[in-house]
Amino acid sequence: MSADSQDHHEDHDHVLPFWKKYIFSTDHKTIGIQYGLSAGAFLLFGFFLMIVMRWSIAYPHEPIPGYLSWIFTDGWKARWLDDGMVTGETYNMFGAMHGTIMVFLGVVPLGFAAFGNYVTPLQIGAPDMAFPKLNMASYWAYLAGGLIMCMSFFMESGAAKSGWTNYSPLAGYADRQIVNQFLAGQTQWLIGLVLLITSSLLGSVNFVTTIIQLRAKGLTWMRLPFFVWAMLVTGFLLLLAFPPLEAAGIMQLMDRVTGSSFFMPSGLFSKEDGVLDISGSGSPLLFQHLFWFLGHPEVYVLLLPAIACVAEIIPCNTRKPLWGYKPMVWSIVALGFLSFVVWAHHMYLTGMGPVISTFFQTTTILISVPSVILLTSMIISLWGGSIRFTMPMIWAAAFLPMFGIGGLTGLPLAFNLADLHLHDTYYVIGHFHYVVAPGILFGLFAGVYHWYPKMTGRFMDNFLGHLHFWPSLICMNLLFFPMLTQGMAGFHRRWYNGGEGYIEKGTEGINVFGQTVAENISLNEVMTGAAIGLAIFQLPFLINMVVSYFWGKKITSDNPWDATTLEWATPTPPGHGNFTFDPAIYRGPYEYSRPDHDKDFFPQWEEPKRSIPAEEPSEKPDKETTEA
Amino acid sequence: MEIPFIVNARKDTGLFNSKVGIWLFLASEVTLFGGLFSGYLFLRLYADYPWPERALPVLPGLINTFVLIGSSVTVVFAWAALKMREWRKFQIYMAITLLCAALFMVLKGIEYNAKFHHQAVQIEGPGPVQGKGIIEGHVHYAEIKDGKLTEVKDKDRYHDEGVFPANRILIKASELTFVLKRPTHEAYVKEILKQAGDDYKITLAKDYRVPDEDELHEGGKNRVQLLASGKALVADAGSELSIDLLEEMEDSFLEARSHDKDIRTDFLAASWDWIRDEKGDDDLSTYVVEKDIWKERRKEDAKKFGPLMLSAPGEVTFKVDPPLILVMKPGDIPQFSKEQVKFRDDTVVKGEVLPSPIIMGVDAIDFRHTAMRAEAEGIEPMKAIEVSWILTHTDSHGGNDLKKAWNCHMAWLKYQTERLEKEGRVPSDNDKYRVNWDEMVAYQKLDLDPEAVYKAAGEDALYHSSLFDLKGFAGANHNEFDFPHVEIPRENVGFESTLTPKWNTYYAIYFTITGLHGLHVIGGALVLGYYLFFGRKMYDSNPEWLANRVEVGGLFWHFVDLVWIFLFPILYLM
Repeated sequence: MSADSQDHHEDHDHVLPFWKKYIFSTDHKTIGIQYGLSAGAFLLFGFFLMIVMRWSIAYPHEPIPGYLSWIFTDGWKARWLDDGMVTGETYNMFGAMHGTIMVFLGVVPLGFAAFGNYVTPLQIGAPDMAFPKLNMASYWAYLAGGLIMCMSFFMESGAAKSGWTNYSPLAGYADRQIVNQFLAGQTQWLIGLVLLITSSLLGSVNFVTTIIQLRAKGLTWMRLPFFVWAMLVTGFLLLLAFPPLEAAGIMQLMDRVTGSSFFMPSGLFSKEDGVLDISGSGSPLLFQHLFWFLGHPEVYVLLLPAIACVAEIIPCNTRKPLWGYKPMVWSIVALGFLSFVVWAHHMYLTGMGPVISTFFQTTTILISVPSVILLTSMIISLWGGSIRFTMPMIWAAAFLPMFGIGGLTGLPLAFNLADLHLHDTYYVIGHFHYVVAPGILFGLFAGVYHWYPKMTGRFMDNFLGHLHFWPSLICMNLLFFPMLTQGMAGFHRRWYNGGEGYIEKGTEGINVFGQTVAENISLNEVMTGAAIGLAIFQLPFLINMVVSYFWGKKITSDNPWDATTLEWATPTPPGHGNFTFDPAIYRGPYEYSRPDHDKDFFPQWEEPKRSIPAEEPSEKPDKETTEA
Repeated sequence: MEIPFIVNARKDTGLFNSKVGIWLFLASEVTLFGGLFSGYLFLRLYADYPWPERALPVLPGLINTFVLIGSSVTVVFAWAALKMREWRKFQIYMAITLLCAALFMVLKGIEYNAKFHHQAVQIEGPGPVQGKGIIEGHVHYAEIKDGKLTEVKDKDRYHDEGVFPANRILIKASELTFVLKRPTHEAYVKEILKQAGDDYKITLAKDYRVPDEDELHEGGKNRVQLLASGKALVADAGSELSIDLLEEMEDSFLEARSHDKDIRTDFLAASWDWIRDEKGDDDLSTYVVEKDIWKERRKEDAKKFGPLMLSAPGEVTFKVDPPLILVMKPGDIPQFSKEQVKFRDDTVVKGEVLPSPIIMGVDAIDFRHTAMRAEAEGIEPMKAIEVSWILTHTDSHGGNDLKKAWNCHMAWLKYQTERLEKEGRVPSDNDKYRVNWDEMVAYQKLDLDPEAVYKAAGEDALYHSSLFDLKGFAGANHNEFDFPHVEIPRENVGFESTLTPKWNTYYAIYFTITGLHGLHVIGGALVLGYYLFFGRKMYDSNPEWLANRVEVGGLFWHFVDLVWIFLFPILYLM
């Protein structure tokens, strides 16, 4: 970008009306923040749903306490609660929406869309995304999709209630009593999903194009920060994995609205309607295949942005290069490819047959190799570093063991035989929550603390940061570790009363789970307490976000962490168009503590002095990549 | 701010931005349609009914294939014209492209419309296997005359008021009961009121009363007194049914329910506080609700809160005077008996379900499913077919045209079998068990005489719809040909639908995949149309940029064409 266009741009920036600058903005940073705030709000809402569910699990016969139920109107309570207690139907509704909100409306938009949008163009030296208007459309499609899904809570049918996986035939049949199917929560879920998929398709096309086309001169592939690699792979995953789910969503929508039987087998019977008035001959298994073809890559869509944040924060705070940058890059690429061929390990219990199960078991074990390379490289990166325990680093450091637990507890689930016992138990819930909550969310928290100074010009408060971190760490473990125990004891994930109906008091009972359920049911109260504690200790974070914006310690340089990647070369906060100079890249992304350099960091954009010998191990700046 | 590489290519990638973008988008489109195509495979391979083969009219699909291929060529010409800076040529080629898109959609519309009007009915009735045969055709129209369903013969009257397709269910309604916890009656109430007009009175059977909250809490009155109070009256007996009235009662019901639940919740919470005090937190377990101490406490609670309950009635009943014959779509009535039906929203209509046959002109009879089932159960297919209602019923004229048509089919099949035997071949299931529309026309032309059919088949004089027969362009043409008439009593109607996604998974995937493809055609045409009608300004300022855009739009257009090239053989020919 020329200096002229930058000037022009800054002038332009001043005349933009409020709604164009902050609401319908095409600036990737504003859109990133919009995504972040919206995703944060959705996360809190999803978290709230979960606390109500956990109340029901721990205290199934007790009305929801006032501090949880004040949000509901009397009419809503009359319809959906039973004398103030959560009913099975309401629990299912909250469960389905908790999963949906956390995955589709919370973590993915926060990790990929918010961080990706804000940081990626800055790290590659681009003035914005390749298609700024598409970027804006992507955000608004996301918000519309999310709101449509959530508004269905207020409909007569209530929100979707067939699990976040929305399996047919249950999901195809639910809410049939609603005459206008477009006004049924289960249908609204699908409409919302189609909008979300549209949003993520627009977003992923934009990300991948931006990374391929708008890299600054000299920024060759192996000089890309790991964060950018992660976004590139995530972009491809979203691009290619989501459309089959869109196909499934459209087919399920047809089943609901036109009465077709894509996923409805022959001979379905319900108490209310008798033999259903459908043609049948559909395949519920087809839905599961299409769902998990997205569903598994989606796990990596959740995970990679968090790993990406941690991989940026660790070198910066250990003041040494990321150990094994190239193997990490190849691992993440391999991970991307492999994630497309593991989906059916979610379906061992469907009876697809031993041959198929064995195939997916093998690929699932294979995918653990690149995952382990990534985690191990980051752990080794700590070795011998002079670690600065800044707030981002503390979160990043906690990510490593927490994600480790999440990953390792997944191994037994990869095996068909072990999965037969563990499938749909709390063990699975414990496993993936370890990956997503203390894993991914910690990584993303690290990212917030790390890039907050770039976004606002102020640091977040350390005391509030610690008050956020330590209780969160403790509560997360108190919340999720007992799930692993309960799961092995046979607790099913969909017991709205926490397994109370399964308790076997005598020793001679025929219920094989009865005894183990009785032994472990008291953990429900521990977990519910931890969940409430976890909620309380998010308050310091929310306060910190607001308070630091106005009164936080001001940064004294544009590069307050003494980091090496290009986002720190921008003004703080960066203006529209990002850079005040034409960025060029001279070296790899993590040149910390180089003995031949006077400072302990050597930014990518800093021109080498003539006396310094050829740059190793980076490649030479690529003259070809200059603007045409 | 300028985004680089919008117009000119980046040197190391050799591409401008939107070209990268469109290829990525197309990659995602491949997986989208890939998901749908794999859906097609799954459904076809695991279908538990005979998958319809060559069930669609080929000509419109074939024309559409060439139309799209042609448009893919003209869109390239349009792009090339832009590259050569020949605006006029660009306009011409782009206009042709858009006309092709429009023609494609028109043909698609004709095809869809034919399906929307083509009824299919699975027959119920006697027979040793589950499948009892399928009848296809066009539903005729009917009206209510002298309290009975009567066919309307005059086609000009089909769209008159009071005339409806003869596939509805008729209920002589004398009483309607609405469930108040379901505030979604609007659709049915509107329909009922519309059908009632001014000649029928639908009135509330008895007062709808809910005790007044304040009066209840003041105390001193028993329930009878509370209900007798003027404040309790929500709606008078005799009030006429309206959406507003129902809403008013629904609101009162829901308010009363909230009130009651609120009180019960408070009592329950207080009891939990009490038991915590009583037993201490450590001694509480989830079994506490099964213990006598808790049960006793709850009994006492119930005694206390019982008198505080408003207990509003959850259902309201309306009388219909005189009884009104309601004409309803079968899909709205999941369950019915002779005396009452229940709508999807749980509204109950009491009265009498009147004879509600489906009256139609039959253009195809299909026993393939019957044969498939019979073979699976080790029964000779023809034995199962012979006892089907289709071949054994007697119509109002004392005959059975379908039986006659089937006999003609048997005569043709005899000829066909003999012919094929000479070539060492056997007839297909389609040959054996399905009478297609053109066969039906041929038999009608020969007065349903089997001997004449056998003879004509030998002389190759049977009417046969060829690829380019415009009379059957979109399938059976009921305006052009006569087809046998049938009245299927409701008890012999199994699953029924028009040839829409509901009918079977073949039509479901056909409509979904071609519908989505059609949306792509429309979307692509809108974008290309935008360049044609609003591109001049950009052409004048930066023609290369416009050329890039057209190139990208053209790539998308080629993809749309490519999808159709897969769809045509899969859906129309295989």
